[in-house]
Amino acid sequence: MEVVNARSALLSNVEVLNLLRELDAEHIARTKTAIRVKKEEEAAGKNSHDTHTEEISENLRTVELEAIQYLSADYQPSLHQSDASITQLVGGLQSFGLSKAEKLQIVNLAPTEPVELYVIVEELEDRLGNQMEDLLAAVSKSLNERAPEHPNGTVVVPEVKQTRDEDAVEVYEEADQETWGYDANAMEFDDTGEGAGVEGDLDVDDD
Amino acid sequence: MFVLSIIKDTIAILPANFGVPPAQALISEINKKYANRVLHDVGLCICTFDLVEAGEGKVRYGDGCLWYKVRFRMVVFRPFASEVILAKVKSSDEDGIRLSVGFFDDIYVPLAYLPQPSAFDPNERAHFWLPDSEATTAHELLESATADRMYIDQGEVVRVRIEADEFYDDEPGPPKASEGIAVKREARRAPYSMICSIAEQGLGPVPWWKSAQPDGDAMEAE
Repeated sequence: MEVVNARSALLSNVEVLNLLRELDAEHIARTKTAIRVKKEEEAAGKNSHDTHTEEISENLRTVELEAIQYLSADYQPSLHQSDASITQLVGGLQSFGLSKAEKLQIVNLAPTEPVELYVIVEELEDRLGNQMEDLLAAVSKSLNERAPEHPNGTVVVPEVKQTRDEDAVEVYEEADQETWGYDANAMEFDDTGEGAGVEGDLDVDDD
Repeated sequence: MFVLSIIKDTIAILPANFGVPPAQALISEINKKYANRVLHDVGLCICTFDLVEAGEGKVRYGDGCLWYKVRFRMVVFRPFASEVILAKVKSSDEDGIRLSVGFFDDIYVPLAYLPQPSAFDPNERAHFWLPDSEATTAHELLESATADRMYIDQGEVVRVRIEADEFYDDEPGPPKASEGIAVKREARRAPYSMICSIAEQGLGPVPWWKSAQPDGDAMEAE
């Protein structure tokens, strides 16, 4: 095993939640099919020697379910967020001159009170001044855009498979839409690629 | 709090799984090997995000497995220093508070990072904060009226700032994928732990800061 890049990109909570829910749904679907196939075979009187019962890792299921639980808990803003609302929020955050880490935390925590914002943004008053209200308004607007998702985990995530690559970076690439293309061909994740500057910018030390 | 890590590894696919599409079989093997494990200086692996590239499967002398050289992206839990996250209080003792995010619970708030002045109430088994108090020693603090204390109770949701994280590699070596999950657990240092702070305006139990008058409101809630 070799770690090529320990921190190639940052993910927002909602992205992780969607990914895990998709995995979960996939798993449930697969289990159902497996059970159905088994029953059919039994009904047909076949001697069912398991060709490939794909064992699902217990570790994966544990961490998956616990993470879904945490990320969709009622104290998390992810309940009121969707891919679209986050894209919109990040677009709205552009004008405030925040760092990537700060934007990520605003997306993850969705601060609606000034005191919550103080924690996230360093030297808030000097940097934002009167714009603080606008920022908070932008956040609460993005939250109210959509009714809470139903928490039973069977959320329909349209086309996540195809758009996953874009999802991973969309939060951080809001400003430069033209660099967006490099990620679509899915092979250039290393920093030597075309998007080197962009991925490099995800470095958390960057302020 | 989550990052994508690019990892390179050689993964074996058992003959029993040759019927499964290779990409799917690889992802499932990778998940089996990495999910819910701590990688040293990387973080806690959650699940495979996707495969970046995979070589041709090769058969080696000695077993019937197909060995693939793969590069993949992993979703890893690794909050960066100074990141603010939400967590639940798992337990409290004289040395500080232990927090949990459900899938990970080696998160600690030492005494130094509690809001000052604060003290540990042995009766309630919880730390409390006494805002605007002149008292400094634990003794004086414990003599205060219970109504003034702002407790950090078990199960409460707190907003914390990550101050530092530590990795310890006490394991004899990485377990092999073929051995499955090791069940035995001994008392040992957690491989990955975090030190957090709530000694700041806006940090601490979420209800403290919910309204414009945080103090008064939190009092009513007590």
